[in-house]
Amino acid sequence: MFCKLAVRNVRRSMRDYTLYFLTLMFGVCVFYVFNSLESQWVMEALAVNNRNVSYTGAILRLVNVISVFVAVVLACLILYANHFMLRRRKKELGTYLLLGMTQGKVSRILFLETLCIGLLALAVGLVMGFFAAQLLSAFTASLFQVVVEEFTFVFSWKGVGKTVLYFAVIFLLVMLFNAVTISRKKLLDLLQARRHNQRLRLRSVTASAVMLAVGVALLIAAYTMLLRRGLLRVDELFWLMLAMGAAGTLLFFRSLSGFLLKLCKSNQSLYYRGLNCFILRQFNSAINTNYLSMTVVCLLLLLAIGVTACSVGVNYTVENKSDRQTPVDMTVFVEADGLTAGDLADLLQEAGFDPETCLEEYTAVRRPVLRLEGEDREVWGTMFIHIMSLSDFNSLRVLRGEGPMTLASDRYGLAVGTEPEENMDPQKDGWAEGKPLRIGDETYQADPEFCYTKALYTSSSSIDTTFILPDQVMEALRPEDVVILDFFLAGNYPKGAEEEMETLLWACYPDFCDGLAQRVGGFSMNFSTKQVEYLDTMGTKLLVLFIGLYLGVIFMVTSAAVLALQQLSQAADNLPRYQVLSRLGVEERMRDRSVYTQIFLAFFLPLSLAVVHSVVGITAANEVIVQLGKLDTVSSTVTTAVIILLVYGAYFAATCAGARRMVRGQ
Amino acid sequence: MEPILTVSHLQKYYGSRGSVTRAIDDLSLSVRAGEFVGIMGASGSGKTTLLNCVATIDRPTAGTITIGGQVVTALRPAALSRFRREKLGFIFQDCNLLDTLTAFENIALPLSIQNRPAGEIGEKVRRCARLLEIEDCMEKYPYQMSGGQCQRTAAARAIVTDPALVLADEPTGALDSKAARLLLDRFEALNRDRSATILMVTHDAFTASYCHRILFIKDGRAFTELVRGEDSRKAFFTRIIEVVTLLGGDSGDVL
Repeated sequence: MFCKLAVRNVRRSMRDYTLYFLTLMFGVCVFYVFNSLESQWVMEALAVNNRNVSYTGAILRLVNVISVFVAVVLACLILYANHFMLRRRKKELGTYLLLGMTQGKVSRILFLETLCIGLLALAVGLVMGFFAAQLLSAFTASLFQVVVEEFTFVFSWKGVGKTVLYFAVIFLLVMLFNAVTISRKKLLDLLQARRHNQRLRLRSVTASAVMLAVGVALLIAAYTMLLRRGLLRVDELFWLMLAMGAAGTLLFFRSLSGFLLKLCKSNQSLYYRGLNCFILRQFNSAINTNYLSMTVVCLLLLLAIGVTACSVGVNYTVENKSDRQTPVDMTVFVEADGLTAGDLADLLQEAGFDPETCLEEYTAVRRPVLRLEGEDREVWGTMFIHIMSLSDFNSLRVLRGEGPMTLASDRYGLAVGTEPEENMDPQKDGWAEGKPLRIGDETYQADPEFCYTKALYTSSSSIDTTFILPDQVMEALRPEDVVILDFFLAGNYPKGAEEEMETLLWACYPDFCDGLAQRVGGFSMNFSTKQVEYLDTMGTKLLVLFIGLYLGVIFMVTSAAVLALQQLSQAADNLPRYQVLSRLGVEERMRDRSVYTQIFLAFFLPLSLAVVHSVVGITAANEVIVQLGKLDTVSSTVTTAVIILLVYGAYFAATCAGARRMVRGQ
Repeated sequence: MEPILTVSHLQKYYGSRGSVTRAIDDLSLSVRAGEFVGIMGASGSGKTTLLNCVATIDRPTAGTITIGGQVVTALRPAALSRFRREKLGFIFQDCNLLDTLTAFENIALPLSIQNRPAGEIGEKVRRCARLLEIEDCMEKYPYQMSGGQCQRTAAARAIVTDPALVLADEPTGALDSKAARLLLDRFEALNRDRSATILMVTHDAFTASYCHRILFIKDGRAFTELVRGEDSRKAFFTRIIEVVTLLGGDSGDVL
């Protein structure tokens, strides 16, 4: 009997809350997709492929942490939605009690209902998630240009288990919440619920004007602080700034409608045209109860926009950086005294990787590091400079397929690196200003034409800015001038044998280390190859993209769902009002428009404030991202806008359709 | 005088084959301009159905309704909306004011739906408010007003557009006797001073005693008609009671 009642109730609320069910299923789906990543074939393929870096591990660890956070957000959404549904059903529950059901039995009906909804959402969501995970795998594979040998469907029991566990906890919370709500309600309140929730709270116009002014002032203050201080200084002031931003948003929404109402009222002919007066009053009365959720939605949207925009931005940035930093297939770097450039090739050959046969073309170069002293120090300030001879420099250029450059015998040039700007700028500025450079007994003038901005070799870390000097300088260099001596062996693999040579190179890594240790005392060294750099970059890219999409989509869907639920439930509350309007002779078209306008305001006011917030926020975030490289603002903005329009627009359209159906229903 | 409302051979059946409920069965009536007509009957006699049909909210099964020379039973839905907002005024039992709007805005709403200029709206609303003696609660919201004030506001809303016909459905149903008397006084004033034509459905004999003429309905058919003529209200009331007793409505409907 109870089961029957519960199932029937579920079926009925399914029709009213389609959007809620869809959101729930979507939540389960997204949750499963990211928590089943571990066992997806593409991740396994990538994990096998990697050599010295483990980037899939980082993704999986982060997904685990973030999933807890996402679960909390989803729990809040579900509790909120449940609260709405319960409020609308107070009268029905009151009737059960009136008919003599005990509170325990009513709680049991609600328990069964939640169970039904939960099982259904879980089942459908998991099936959706199963297919979505295959799509994501295919997408990832295409990003990595992994050849799909056999496309296998993977069903992750671990992902399923985790999803079921998290959602079971959420639904248990919902059941607990329902039981507590029912036991604390008086029968009379339940039966008269409809009459009670219509109470209007009035606020004087002066108060709302003052509130609006204070809100805007708080927001401006928070914006200024953010832009002045940057995003990454987390101290007391940072939390104060967040608090001011949140309080400003709250006050803004709380006072805006009253202010708008006053503004429109002062223009009588606008106010008394068509349903304008009705719409504004409706909006005003709704926002008095909704300002809190509008604030939350606005902040959630801000997070969604911010996370999506930044992740997409970082993506483009990282990609550009990787193209820039891998001019050749491989580079061996050694920092040690008492070697010559030629020794590098010998050491490699002894370790089992003969550059002569294993590389199509290669060159070994020397890069001493000098400390500026005497006059130079006065001219340039305290710094270490990297120098390289013109012929070494030209031999590196040959590897890139470029012709040699020339330099007069009393001049120096510059090869700009990819260091952080504070290290690089003094050298660049010095060269641009034409500061002379003294090495040994000779003085060299800057060659204003000679500035090379591409990478000289492949490197996983940043590339140092290097001064290029005529060859005779190197010969005249005294050993005591040189602080550190760096060597590079850069080369390209023969065409068609890249994979084989790459494996061979990494295989000789330990032997090369041993050989080097026997030759010299202290040293530091590393191997950098294009393939590893590429995978590493793609790993970072994938990490940022996955996390960004995961969080962004969840936030966006949550906020849109909250708004949709609220608007639909208000549309149901408004039904009697629309009936009055209908009797007064308001045409269907006009009533629809009034419904749409209200939903539009509810959806797009938080969105527009969130956009303003995030423009400021992203500007501040750019400062951080810039350290990785230049953020591609246009493309990240466009991508974010498209995602927002799709998700938010879909919810908006669905809410409009649902509300229209409700209002037209009778 | 040309009748403002003519209902001829009206039928309204509910239900499908097998179980047909005849809410209205061949009913005819006519109301002349400036008349204050009451419709009485027991619960389920079809009086509200009749009013809904006249109000163009419900569509009759057969028969025609003509209001101000226009056959409304032939109009399409969009034209009906237009007709309702220009030719009809409504007063309901539970006043049906919009609780988000002030009294002034509630009265102004029908005018602003017709897109009248703002200056005209203000002037008309104030005149109606004066007539119904609710000038002091113009800036109040419905929940701040008494039931009687709400109902008079609803009356003001009904007449502000100068409709051809005002329809009232149990307007005193939710009021105490003092507020009901006040409202009915105002109805009389409206009828007298603005020559508003009022068609009122009620089952309360006292309320009905304010009318010029009362049509009694039983089981969807016209039962009898009472005309007040030169009678005092008290004498008319007594005659109404007699008919109500004759009708055999359940005792709760008598007083």
